Amino acid sequence: MNSKAYYGEFGGQFVSESLMNTLEELDAAFEAAIKDPEFMEQYHYYLRQYVGRETPLYFAERLSEKYKTKIYLKREDLNHTGAHKINNVMGQILLARRMGKTKVIAETGAGQHGVATATGAALFGMECTIYMGKEDMQRQRLNVMRMEMLGASVVSVESGSNTLKDATNEAIRAWAKTAEDTFYIIGSAVGPYPYPKMVKEFQSVISREAKIQHKKAEGKNPDAVIACVGGGSNSIGMFADFIDEKDVELIGVEAAGCGISSGKHASAMALGEPGVLHGMKSYLLQDTDGNIQLAHSISAGLDYPGVGPEHAYLRDSGRAKYVSITDTEAMDALLELCKLEGIIPAIESAHAIAYAMKKAEEMTETQSMIICLSGRGDKDVNTIADYLDGKGYLN
Amino acid sequence: MNRIEKTLAVLQEKKEKAFITYMTAGLPDYSKTKEIIKAQEQAGTDIIELGIPFSDPVADGPVIQKASYDAILGGANLEKTFACLKELRGGGVEIPVVFMMYYNTILHYGLDAFADECKKSGVDGLIIPDLPFEEQEELLEVLAGCDETILIQLVSPVSAGRVEKILEHARGFVYCVSSMGVTGQEGNFHKEVINYLSHVKQVSGVPVMMGFGIHRAEDVRPMKDIIDGAIVGSHFISLMRESGFSAQTAKEYCTAFKKELNEL
Repeated sequence: MNSKAYYGEFGGQFVSESLMNTLEELDAAFEAAIKDPEFMEQYHYYLRQYVGRETPLYFAERLSEKYKTKIYLKREDLNHTGAHKINNVMGQILLARRMGKTKVIAETGAGQHGVATATGAALFGMECTIYMGKEDMQRQRLNVMRMEMLGASVVSVESGSNTLKDATNEAIRAWAKTAEDTFYIIGSAVGPYPYPKMVKEFQSVISREAKIQHKKAEGKNPDAVIACVGGGSNSIGMFADFIDEKDVELIGVEAAGCGISSGKHASAMALGEPGVLHGMKSYLLQDTDGNIQLAHSISAGLDYPGVGPEHAYLRDSGRAKYVSITDTEAMDALLELCKLEGIIPAIESAHAIAYAMKKAEEMTETQSMIICLSGRGDKDVNTIADYLDGKGYLN
Repeated sequence: MNRIEKTLAVLQEKKEKAFITYMTAGLPDYSKTKEIIKAQEQAGTDIIELGIPFSDPVADGPVIQKASYDAILGGANLEKTFACLKELRGGGVEIPVVFMMYYNTILHYGLDAFADECKKSGVDGLIIPDLPFEEQEELLEVLAGCDETILIQLVSPVSAGRVEKILEHARGFVYCVSSMGVTGQEGNFHKEVINYLSHVKQVSGVPVMMGFGIHRAEDVRPMKDIIDGAIVGSHFISLMRESGFSAQTAKEYCTAFKKELNEL
């Protein structure tokens, strides 16, 4: 057992033998890169000049007033391409270049990670292929168009359930065939080691900034930090610099879909049992035969049957708490944020906001919390319109 | 002695190569699975790999993916496959059977219960494509002291520097993947396939079998002096589908392959 690949009992490298040397090569290159000041300077240069960091830590006045506690929003929605996904893409694509790879591939569900990857590939003139479930391509046609405009080719995955889980399988298969010249950019804090560590490293800029910004505003750490969790990339980035700050409560919000008891949800940790998928051991939604179950959420970005291994570990060790929010609760919170603050959040991020509203009840007016506003809601306007029309929704 | 090892020892004595097939359990149903296994035993197939269907078969190409998906829709699972094999063993079927499966199916069943049931049902070996050498400890622990069921090791053309440690305690045979990627790729063996197989053969204390992308015995002519046997998976499944899962077709194909393999 490669013990550094594990977070407690979670993580590991459950991939075919064909990928083991590739993972080792990747791990060595990654470790060397993050210790190289020149590489990190380059990464931060692009975050600054291209992505538009740092993002504000905005004090949400009207929200705070209504919920009687201090609420700060970490505005990842203001990044180029509209979400936190680009932070990680910039890091991984620079690493790919450093390793001499000329092609990148990625999986995508809603299309946000696909768009971010296509963007990075365009910037650096790399060949880019995005794997996307056939169903998702129909639901997210606008994002498919964006990726194609950016020069990526989008491969329609028609196997299994035709969604993110299957797109990830297909990306892993393609990678196993082409690893000699191709770099696989995983978008979430999942996959075989070193991916969970790599995604955390490149997303931790969120909490590094937020911690300093909050201290400047309040002179102390926040009492709570809240982020939504699908695979868990924005949340691990939002938690990273606070994990060792024991006075800060860390809360991850999963999607409860139509409610945990309905069976139609995406909360891998609420009922999930440990299992192995996409190269990692973590909590997974499974049926009675150990087959992976389809997740369900109005938010395509949270619609994933597993969760990153470090989250599974943070949960079991008690360092972070994981809760869930239903589709309806998330949509109510989304609409309220629009009206109170003039911000249309992504439906994913609205899950974190919805839980923050509940959490506020047990907080005082002098306490404060940070919510990671992981993305903007422009991409969700069709879903929101359908929801408001009472037509149900596409996701 | 383990049933696989016994069979391979006999072949070695006769200076014959092994012929191994793969099929997905419960495709299209278990009565066909049983018929096809019996037909293959009569035809002289040496070992049968039985695929336990899984929702996310990440090491498999389109043919086995679809086979797996269809089998699941038809109700196939681990429990029923154990029962199927038990019945075959009860009816005198002695051919070695290897379960090819993904690790989650085992974890979900429970490691101890799984090892126990393998022994009771007559599962002779396990091939787990998403359980590389570094992750095998847990499973090997529960299989320890159980000679009936052994773990088969896999190596790939890009396993450089790893072959020695993987094969150090290998039992049964070593499964050499002929190309990078997934099962069922058309005849595109890795460019370094001969060097790679020669190296594995040199290091290995157990027979060396090659799989991935093999259709007919002729395909392995270039490496006939290196390998000890050939594995046919995706092509066998396609053949079964085309023939409406005909036991007669299985028998004819296996008889011919086995004969040609030893006449190369």
